[in-house]
Amino acid sequence: MGDLLGNLALGFSTALSIQNILLCFTGCLVGTLIGVLPGVGPIATIAMLLPLTFKVDPTGALIMLAGIYYGAQYGGSTTAILVNIPGEATSVVTVLDGHQMAKQGRAGVALGTAAIGSFIAGSVATVFIAALGKPLTELALLFGPAEYFSLMVLGLAFAVVLARGSVLKAVAVIFLGLLLSTVGTDLETGEERLTFGIPDLADGIDFAVLAMGIFGFAEILRNLENPETRDVVRGAIGRLLPSKEDLKRSLAPIARGTGLGAILGILPGNGAVLGPFASYTLEKKIAKDPSRFGKGAIEGVAGPEAANNAGAQTAFIPLLTLGIPPNAVMALMVGAMTIHGVIPGPQVMTKNPSLFWGMIASMWIGNLMLLIINLPLVGLWVRLLKVPYRLMFPAILLFCCIGIYSINNNPGDVIMTAFFGLAGYALYKFGFEPAPLLLGFVLGKLMEETFRQAMVISRGSFMTFVERPLSGALLAITAAILVIAVLPNVRKRREEAFQE
Amino acid sequence: MLTRMIAAAAALGLVAGVATAQPYPSRPITLIVPFAAGGPTDVVARIVGEHMSKTLGQQVVVENVAGAGGTTGITRGATSKGDGYTIMMGHMGTHGAAPALYPKLKYDPTKDFAPIGLAAGTPILIVAKKDYPAKDLKEFVAHVKANAAKVNQAHAGVGSVSFTTCTLFNHQIGTKFTQVAFRGTGPALNAMVGGQVDFMCDQIVNLVEQIKGGAIRAYAIATPERSPALPDVPTTKEAGMPEYEVSAWNALFAPKDTPAAIVAKLNDALDKALDDPGTRQRLHDLGGVIPTKAGRTSASLGKFVEAEVARWNPVLKAAGVTAE
Amino acid sequence: MTVKSPQEVAAGLFLIVVAAIGLWQGAELAAGSLNQMGPGMLPRALSVILVVLGGALALDGFLEKGAGLERWHVRGPVFILGAAVVFGLLVRPVGLAIAGPVAVLLGAMADKGTKFVETLVFGVILTAFCVGLFKYALGLPIPVAPWLLGY
Repeated sequence: MGDLLGNLALGFSTALSIQNILLCFTGCLVGTLIGVLPGVGPIATIAMLLPLTFKVDPTGALIMLAGIYYGAQYGGSTTAILVNIPGEATSVVTVLDGHQMAKQGRAGVALGTAAIGSFIAGSVATVFIAALGKPLTELALLFGPAEYFSLMVLGLAFAVVLARGSVLKAVAVIFLGLLLSTVGTDLETGEERLTFGIPDLADGIDFAVLAMGIFGFAEILRNLENPETRDVVRGAIGRLLPSKEDLKRSLAPIARGTGLGAILGILPGNGAVLGPFASYTLEKKIAKDPSRFGKGAIEGVAGPEAANNAGAQTAFIPLLTLGIPPNAVMALMVGAMTIHGVIPGPQVMTKNPSLFWGMIASMWIGNLMLLIINLPLVGLWVRLLKVPYRLMFPAILLFCCIGIYSINNNPGDVIMTAFFGLAGYALYKFGFEPAPLLLGFVLGKLMEETFRQAMVISRGSFMTFVERPLSGALLAITAAILVIAVLPNVRKRREEAFQE
Repeated sequence: MLTRMIAAAAALGLVAGVATAQPYPSRPITLIVPFAAGGPTDVVARIVGEHMSKTLGQQVVVENVAGAGGTTGITRGATSKGDGYTIMMGHMGTHGAAPALYPKLKYDPTKDFAPIGLAAGTPILIVAKKDYPAKDLKEFVAHVKANAAKVNQAHAGVGSVSFTTCTLFNHQIGTKFTQVAFRGTGPALNAMVGGQVDFMCDQIVNLVEQIKGGAIRAYAIATPERSPALPDVPTTKEAGMPEYEVSAWNALFAPKDTPAAIVAKLNDALDKALDDPGTRQRLHDLGGVIPTKAGRTSASLGKFVEAEVARWNPVLKAAGVTAE
Repeated sequence: MTVKSPQEVAAGLFLIVVAAIGLWQGAELAAGSLNQMGPGMLPRALSVILVVLGGALALDGFLEKGAGLERWHVRGPVFILGAAVVFGLLVRPVGLAIAGPVAVLLGAMADKGTKFVETLVFGVILTAFCVGLFKYALGLPIPVAPWLLGY
């Protein structure tokens, strides 16, 4: 314990130097502003801003980068709430209830709750990392391909639960997402699949392209057709910040979300993606009135946002303790660290303690900064919403185009986004929901890889998924959740049939 | 009439003269890196590019164009205007193994480029999970050959450095292994640290800290000399497999019709970067190997690329691997 | 048998068509065995499942009362999606300085309430802001006006 306090003291003394505080602040601010732009998610933001960090020493650069990362995450949530566009897989859940709240004039409450929830989650996660970093990594290493596969299957069960409409349609659109995820180059043989010979598809469909198309463009098209409901905020703005009542309702979801997100974030291989989905599912299932979800339930924002942020923080654990980046953003961080001459690995903690603990301390400071920066900004964002839609939608369009282009400097990506915009429009006309499709898409890639890896390692034995205890347990939970999800529908059908 | 024509010609000549009299470079130079930001090639490109900006007096801006094992970015670079304002960082995969891996490749590494010069290379290591039952390389080779059916070899996807170098390894010891594909080095490394796969071959940059920390074990490094970053790891020559010598080399290229004078200027800037103590230190910290003066000329790069293409072709064809 | 829910039927048919495209494109890929799964196995399996689900949906459309078919508008999609396509085609040859305002103008035409001059001015200002932010402040390699400035 004394050790921990000593380390934290070292960390804070490093992080609280004037230079580092300034860097943290700049990072958070810039990250937020860029992350807010529709079409630009954390990866694109960090890649864009990476050169800015070259002028500074390694510790300072990393602090700034971490700030950019959180800022971008939060900025992405802001866009999700305000204009219904998820910048990253983890923001997909936020659009569900967050945007509905915005439409009801409660944008400020949604944004404020997200900020506060993220801060609480971040603080708890920081303590988590500081105290339990090493042992948690051992847990993460228990996850082999079979366990990951089962975890992803569990994730799909979440997708079914969070759907608002008919279960059949939700399952169908999830499978559509899974099919879309197979487009690209096969990992094992290098063969191109379903690419129609288009070179841009050789590496698969980019998440941002898909999300921007079926959410962003389709949303604009939808709004244009419904002039009555399109102005995002009708009438009075209402409260800018959450009321005591709102906060009381959010506290428990925040706590639960933090727990879920923190644990899932440790798992290398993008376990953090599942955090918000798991939280949303949990909140929806234990709520007294589940029908509120999808219509602006504050728990549907508080929980997932907390999970989101907790996961974002704990995702640093495999990076800082093992030197292995758990997802694409962390891989960028590794690159950034390498450029600055710090090669992350098991020895960073001992060889470079001021860097390690300084980063952890600045994580907490970054969370605090985000709160300080964003709460006042809420007023600004909400006022921006009053811009007449006829000016707003071309602006959103332009930002999306620039954002998509800048991901890979590829104009073909923009054209493909337009194609998915059409697809999104079709989905909307046929009564499908886009959110489960995105989740199916994100999970699909991971599922196929891990499934094949597990099968190769087990030399073709299906039983490996059940034999390995952790994997088996996850599959059992999946079955349970599916039963809980489907049962009410089945009962409803029976009652209807009865009445006829 | 005549006087007017002369005046026009003179004016035109003046304008043309002014335009070409603009010394190179007069605006930022784009350096296409055909991989995602943060990876080993990107890191080398940024370190070298930073110093080159100082020599050239104009910013060298890295543009990441990832895809298809690096060939997307290189294709874009190869088809750019040869005016010296677009160059690219190719490597062993894009300019050595690519012709064998991608039958529909849209460029020829030996013909469609004006080679500028070799940048830093990263040596390849043979690494295994930490409790693999073999003390040194000889025992390791014997053990994996004997247990070929049970051994799992990891790689980061067809077309990646870890894939091509391990294919060479398998070819040289004459054994095929069950290859488990991962999406990138991170997940592959993770699986190895967790003990789910047995071994792989990859660049030192990705592995050095894990080796030092004891999470995985290294059997040999595939260069003639030991690396200062890992002084305890024997070379393949010392360990009894001298024929396995491979480095993930990185080099700068320009589109093929770039004027020789501009190529020479770029080569000079690259050379100065590789001589600069600060840059050398950063590259060495990564475990990078900086080519000798003799190996840094454009001509030697051209010959090197031809040799590499010839080297990888039979190996990859024999393994029956193509990416399409 | 009357169609009780045209939307469901249409949705089901849509899925079947997509699945059919998947099956068609994936036809040459080797499925492999379960031990060594080939690239074709998963796309084929998913397409088949989608056909089944699509069929179930369509069937449902015949049995249960539900929503009717919604009208597809033309103006919106053509101008919004067209604006994005035009942006993609223009951004590298002529740069953001032109592609930006063009995209804004085209996109705005999707809405009947658009006023030309107002939108044009807005588009130019917005593009200028974007150029300043992305190109100069952040150093993004996005072409601004290659025909004028060379980058």
